[in-house]
Amino acid sequence: MKLTSRLAGGLRALFHRNQVEAELDDELREFLQRTIERNISRGMDVEEATRAARIEIGSIDVVKEQVRDVGWESRLEAFWRDIRYAIRTLFRAKGLTVTVVLTLALGIGANAAIFSVVRGVLLRPLVNRDEDRLIYIRQTAPGISSENMTFSVAEIGDFKSRVRSFNAFGEFSTVDFTVIGLGPEPRVVKAGVVNGSFFEVMGLRPVVGRLFNTQDDGPKAASVVVLTHRFWTTQFNSDPTVIGRTLRVASHPATVIGVLEPSVPYPTATEIMANMVTSPHHMEATMQTFRTHRMTELFGRLAPGAKLETARSELAAVHADMMREHPEAYSAGNVELRVTRLRDQIAGPARTVLLLLLAAAVVVFVIACSNVANLILARSVRRERELAVRASLGAGRRALRRTLLAESLVLCTAGAVLGVLLAEPFVALVGRYAGRFSIRALDVTLDASVLWVGAGFALVAAVLLAYVPRLPSTSSPAGLGLATGGVRITAGTNRKLRAFAMSQIACSFVLLAGAGTLVATLVKLQTTNTGYNTRNVLVFDIPTPAPNVARDAPSDFHQQVTRRVGELPGVEGVARAEFTPWRDAGSWPAMPITVEGYTPAAGEETYAQPRFVSANFFSLLGVPLLAGQEFTEADRLSKEPVAIVSQSLAQRMFPSRDVLNRHMSVKWPIGEPTSYRIVGVAADVDDMNVRPQPGLTIYTLGGGSRLFVRAAGDPHSLVPKVTRVIREIAANQAVEHAATLEDIRAEMLSPDRLNAFVFSGFAGIALLIAVVGVAGVLAFLVSARTREFGVRLAIGSSPRLLLAGVLRDGMRIAVVGVAVGVTGGYAVVVAAQRLFGSVQLPGILPVIAAAAVLIGAAIVASLIPAARASRVDVLQALRSE
Amino acid sequence: MSSAGKPSVLVQGTLDMLILKTLALEPMHGYGIGARIEQISKGVFQVNAGSLFPAFRRLERDGLIRAEWRSTENNRQAKYYALTPQGRAKLKRATREWETQTAAISSILDASLGELS
Repeated sequence: MKLTSRLAGGLRALFHRNQVEAELDDELREFLQRTIERNISRGMDVEEATRAARIEIGSIDVVKEQVRDVGWESRLEAFWRDIRYAIRTLFRAKGLTVTVVLTLALGIGANAAIFSVVRGVLLRPLVNRDEDRLIYIRQTAPGISSENMTFSVAEIGDFKSRVRSFNAFGEFSTVDFTVIGLGPEPRVVKAGVVNGSFFEVMGLRPVVGRLFNTQDDGPKAASVVVLTHRFWTTQFNSDPTVIGRTLRVASHPATVIGVLEPSVPYPTATEIMANMVTSPHHMEATMQTFRTHRMTELFGRLAPGAKLETARSELAAVHADMMREHPEAYSAGNVELRVTRLRDQIAGPARTVLLLLLAAAVVVFVIACSNVANLILARSVRRERELAVRASLGAGRRALRRTLLAESLVLCTAGAVLGVLLAEPFVALVGRYAGRFSIRALDVTLDASVLWVGAGFALVAAVLLAYVPRLPSTSSPAGLGLATGGVRITAGTNRKLRAFAMSQIACSFVLLAGAGTLVATLVKLQTTNTGYNTRNVLVFDIPTPAPNVARDAPSDFHQQVTRRVGELPGVEGVARAEFTPWRDAGSWPAMPITVEGYTPAAGEETYAQPRFVSANFFSLLGVPLLAGQEFTEADRLSKEPVAIVSQSLAQRMFPSRDVLNRHMSVKWPIGEPTSYRIVGVAADVDDMNVRPQPGLTIYTLGGGSRLFVRAAGDPHSLVPKVTRVIREIAANQAVEHAATLEDIRAEMLSPDRLNAFVFSGFAGIALLIAVVGVAGVLAFLVSARTREFGVRLAIGSSPRLLLAGVLRDGMRIAVVGVAVGVTGGYAVVVAAQRLFGSVQLPGILPVIAAAAVLIGAAIVASLIPAARASRVDVLQALRSE
Repeated sequence: MSSAGKPSVLVQGTLDMLILKTLALEPMHGYGIGARIEQISKGVFQVNAGSLFPAFRRLERDGLIRAEWRSTENNRQAKYYALTPQGRAKLKRATREWETQTAAISSILDASLGELS
């Protein structure tokens, strides 16, 4: 009641101000009139009565002011007055205003953008129904650094029959299908092959048509496919009539039955989803029966009432039983099970990167604030006179503080508005960048939360800034500022200015050293010799054709392609393999090997990476053979199993160095181990990591889905010619992903390049702000000491001495700042190591480089004020006060 | 309170109560309220405009009094204040509280050692 009546009265006073004021006027006039009348009735004459009444009442304006101050609206009005005053004064100091607003906008914009991305990637729930009950199950073998071994049909069967915490399991594996009917040319389409309950488990719905159900399982079901939303919109222009269309998938007809709603694809983005029967491979007996034939990803939905922890322990128990019952299938690398919420699994790899980015953004914000604080501080010292005048005219400390707060609020609001506008392009940039680590980042957009973040930062900055300047104290003689009119810097202000400048240097140092480390890593990666001749070798994907695509058997088809492409002008050589270096070389797991004449220690098992290559592979890619010779046509025709081993494997397994013509056998997942005669030793190359590590590799003859072509001239000009030749041999053959090895390497390095780029961007901004900060502080200190410099020059000090003094001042700020940065940065890294484990200390080189850059920048920044100090005009300086 | 015939300073917070009490007798305009307080207190309290008018605004905002423009006895317009039901209740509460407090204060001031032992 009280509150509403107060509110109503205040609002009336605000919106019907004239009426309320007029009433007050009338009321007071009436009061005056009656007082006069009373005085007359006591015997005064009119003039005397009026004067006495006025004396008794006092200033009518003061009374009005007191009445107005009763309501809350007066405070609002006072605040509004302060804001208008702030805007007017800031308009007069345009340079300062622009610098402050831009600096704050950068700081706030970067933070707002990164907060949006962090929120979108780490905190936003998935679109899947009840996504917190959606579980991802993974089998890993850390012992052979196999992050994801996937599951076999037999293993999934065990889980299905023994685990109670899940109602159903979703199975997902990827297969590249050649699809005809999507356009004029056959296309290789990445497909997810899933079981009937997959979509139910994932909790996803169709946009058009229907999704799979358990009726689509089994070998008797019809081949059906579902399009992913992205594929439907890009390839079919969101045409709903696509439902019911028949495509030829892997040479069999398959019907499109629906379109999946937009959702986060995991673990792989695919273009279509197909039921099991569509994939001939999934129907083979080996796939169905061999426990080690693993290629399926596994998802589960918690049954009602089941908890993640119970599901985890139940799965672990079942898994342990499986390993006990089939020890031969789990011999390698300490197989273990990981059970996580799908959401956490997807966010995982992005977490560290995003948190780092967030830290960098916060550091930039701190630098920005500290720089702005410096500018404001310097300004407030120049304004001391104005504040002193206002204080002596009766403004209280609170009123003065309110003026300063209004001013910083105006500055920060302008900064925040601009920052939020800047955040839009930032979000796009950071989203694309973070998309390398988590697919969810790609569809992060700016939302309303960014406004709150921006407003929050602005408020924090405003309050901080308002408390930076010293107020003219009411106890100390305010007359000082009034009398002299010059700029005087107290020791406290001086210390504050320096401390802010140092903190900027320290923060910039941390960012610079971090960015330097990333750049150093990138440079090292880009200049490492990979062991391949990457320059003019092209690689094409030509998936093994289905029987009715090519007229001839697969091997004849490959022979023909090799011969015809080799005859093209500009082609220096042709080879084939079953993998593309760096892109997909690790898709086959390492296989256990045994070597004739090598007795393993108890429990020792050796694994080697299998690679299928054709004749001439090594010479074409420029990998030197250290012993023996490479595969020839004769080897292929002789049918005797032969192998080439990597240098590391040779050294490890054949200490006697006598390698050629010895035998070793590989235990493939299916069938008996195959024994190979070793015909060569190849130099170590690392085709999985761009960062080479010596690996045990065994090369055998076979495969051919990747075609390597060495070009004499420009490799890219060969792409259409090679495609045409292959199509002449088999009209419906897909030819895709043509790229030089150099391109692929660049593609693989792009996350590193982006890391370096983004952090360098942050560091660059920080450096810029810090340089402006140091230069500003020194310039201000110099201008305040003009008189002192004048006196010193007048009594014979040399200008050079003054110049050196100012430079030394700048150096001192920079050196102390760097020292603080080194210790602070070290502490942060140590803390991060304890938190995340995998954080490395930067190398000594980036640290020294960062320090050198900063100190150099500080010297440059001090040069201008130093020069000004040495050129002070003696007479003018002495007259200046 | 002063006995020297000079106007006395009001105990803080009592002005509101005095205004409410004055209005409990009859609705009155600003001058009248001031004059009546002075008259009833026999000149002990003189309330100036600088305290009176902010108090009116405060009481009005709190919904304890209500204002209305009315013609006066000599046909001028004046703003008359009247108690609202909330104002009446508030006056009752304030009076009771005041009586309790003044009684307590007087008994403290009158206390002698003999009574305590």
